[in-house]
Amino acid sequence: MITEIAPARERESAAPQQPRKVRRAWDEVPRWQIYVPLGIYLVFTLIPFYWILLFAFRPAGSTSLVPWPMTFDHFQKVWTERSFGVYFQNSVYVGVATLILTTVVALAGGYALARFEFRIKRTFMLALLCSQFVPGALLLVPLFQIFAKLQMINSLGSVIIAETVFQLPLSMILISGFIRNVPQSLEEAAWVDGCNRLAAFRIVVLPLLRPGLIAVGSFAFVHAWNHFLFALMFLSDQSKQTIPVGLNTLMGADSVDLGALAAGGIVAAVPVVIVFAFIQKWLITGFSAGAVKG
Amino acid sequence: MKTSIRRSRRAATAVALGSVLALTATACGDDGSGGAGDKGDEGSGKGTITFWDNNGGVRTDIWKQIIADFEKKYPDIKVKYVGIPAASAQSKYDTAIQGGGLPDVGGVGTAVLAEVAVQGALEPLDSRLKSSSLNGKLSQNLIDVSKSAGGGDTLYQIPTSANNGTLWYRTDLFKAAGLDAPTTWAKFYAAADKLTDKAKNKFGFTIRGGEGSIAPALDAVYGQTGITSFWNGDKTTVNDPKNVAALAKYVGLFKKDTPSADLNNDFTKMVAQWDSGTIGMLSHNLGSYQDHLKALGADKFKGIPNPTLDDGTRVQISNPVDGLSLFKSSKNKEAAWKFIEFAVSAAENSKYNESAGQVPANTEAASAAWIQKSEPTQLAAAALNGADTKIVQLPYYLPDWNTISKADNEPNFQKLLLGKMTAKEFLDTLADQLNKAQADWKKNH
Repeated sequence: MITEIAPARERESAAPQQPRKVRRAWDEVPRWQIYVPLGIYLVFTLIPFYWILLFAFRPAGSTSLVPWPMTFDHFQKVWTERSFGVYFQNSVYVGVATLILTTVVALAGGYALARFEFRIKRTFMLALLCSQFVPGALLLVPLFQIFAKLQMINSLGSVIIAETVFQLPLSMILISGFIRNVPQSLEEAAWVDGCNRLAAFRIVVLPLLRPGLIAVGSFAFVHAWNHFLFALMFLSDQSKQTIPVGLNTLMGADSVDLGALAAGGIVAAVPVVIVFAFIQKWLITGFSAGAVKG
Repeated sequence: MKTSIRRSRRAATAVALGSVLALTATACGDDGSGGAGDKGDEGSGKGTITFWDNNGGVRTDIWKQIIADFEKKYPDIKVKYVGIPAASAQSKYDTAIQGGGLPDVGGVGTAVLAEVAVQGALEPLDSRLKSSSLNGKLSQNLIDVSKSAGGGDTLYQIPTSANNGTLWYRTDLFKAAGLDAPTTWAKFYAAADKLTDKAKNKFGFTIRGGEGSIAPALDAVYGQTGITSFWNGDKTTVNDPKNVAALAKYVGLFKKDTPSADLNNDFTKMVAQWDSGTIGMLSHNLGSYQDHLKALGADKFKGIPNPTLDDGTRVQISNPVDGLSLFKSSKNKEAAWKFIEFAVSAAENSKYNESAGQVPANTEAASAAWIQKSEPTQLAAAALNGADTKIVQLPYYLPDWNTISKADNEPNFQKLLLGKMTAKEFLDTLADQLNKAQADWKKNH
């Protein structure tokens, strides 16, 4: 026992010295070796975004390398003439509905996968994983026929259902991972205090799943927001189209209005950027927590 | 605890009910009936018809004007407009043919006509045209292209517009360099050399190396050699030794007189690069006229048809013809045909093509005043109908044409530009695929 304790003490005493070593090594690295590669990387990453801003804010025909004089004509054009106001509303509707449906159903399915043992559990998990290999385009015709039978062609509901169905497998796997990380003893303690399973889940488990739910929900929202194929195929009325389809209509067969396209791109990107800016902390925590146990 | 249990039950019920209600509320769509097997009906000639625009967005405004004019003339017919992004039109048609939901009328270009027609989705239009007020008023050249693209002698598309390959050139740069307009191939190559100054990032030409590279390359090849037919019996002329030499000369411009980034040029990048830089010439079509006008202004550029041989002969490939098709599954073919007739009438066809900057299919519309003011369109119209112009008909009727001219050979064209393939190897591969596709097609026709 003594021999076992001694190295532990040594480790404890040595432990506080480690950060100092790291700090010293960090101090020895010349700053340029850190900032120059980072700067080059940033330039490569940000230049395309700068070009989008440039085309969106400078007047048509200008070759200036700065967006000055600044114009909002392209934004006005896409928002009013090209109906991006309507597309935006539809995309928000599809994105939020997909987020809610995916999260609610994945939560129920993920809980079952994490807490219950049943005969085909492994096969079911494998099927969920395999479904990720099927591209959406392969299922277009059957989905179209199903929605046609349900009188749902040209309805936003068809896109919401299709997006949810494609989001669910990965979301369920991730959420089951998060739930497994919550000790079952916490739930059992709540049962002892008189909660039934649902109440224990809501009061004890659900608050602990917040990072995971944010990760899964935001992933579902962003995917539904950006997805083009289902909206193109299942919706026809211009009043029901979504942003990705609207963006594509800005590219004609032989002609492209680059100013309008750039402005449309910014309109499409802003909500996603805002979502990520607010949730990035939980997003990283959520995905890493879900990745610990699969 | 009991209260919280009750609350949680209520919450769960509310979520479930909310989801069901939300789905029900949004499920007010249609049944998407009308696939390839549906034979449709003549209908009453009244009611609502659906029109799919295959260049949605860009042409939405003009189509809405035409539809408003139509509904004014025929108050009993309503047209439901659906704009489809140009790049996705074919996949939308393919899905609707398989799954249902085809429109009554749709814009179908010759590039996809064969593929849609071969699936039995389109109504033959020969007899309708014969008894129509349009009979004799449409360009016979374009009718021939439409018939050929449909895969035989049947007319599946009423042409609305012709596009034409156009060599756009910067008049200000040509003037400064003391160059004549690039009206012949010799002048084209001389100008490409003289306008290039790599140190100052100035180039004589921009070549299309990315998506859509095959047609402009073939246009340049046949234009230089003067070979006027795509087929010699059952074999294509594409790998004729004269064509091989012409292609080698054309791709020799890459990096010498063009930016090296041209390797990935699709038309968007190519047009944007030309409109905002100092490049002397661009080979595209009439469709980018408005973009050049906005970017450069009317004084800095001109557009002419393909350069000629030294003897003045102009040889060019057939460009895709846009048009309207009537779908077999339509339940109201009479009303749908009325819409087609109206849209291609002289006044409406003129209005449409003025907006699109293309050559009208209606010969009465082709003499409209706006064409006389738009030099590139006027020259294109003259070239298309001129006695000195020979048009090499590309085999749009081959169901494999799109695969061969895009997925199969665009990567090879990039290899050719990079020197990893010779012009002979490239054209021999292309010829082999075309000969096989033609043999297959002949077996079935």
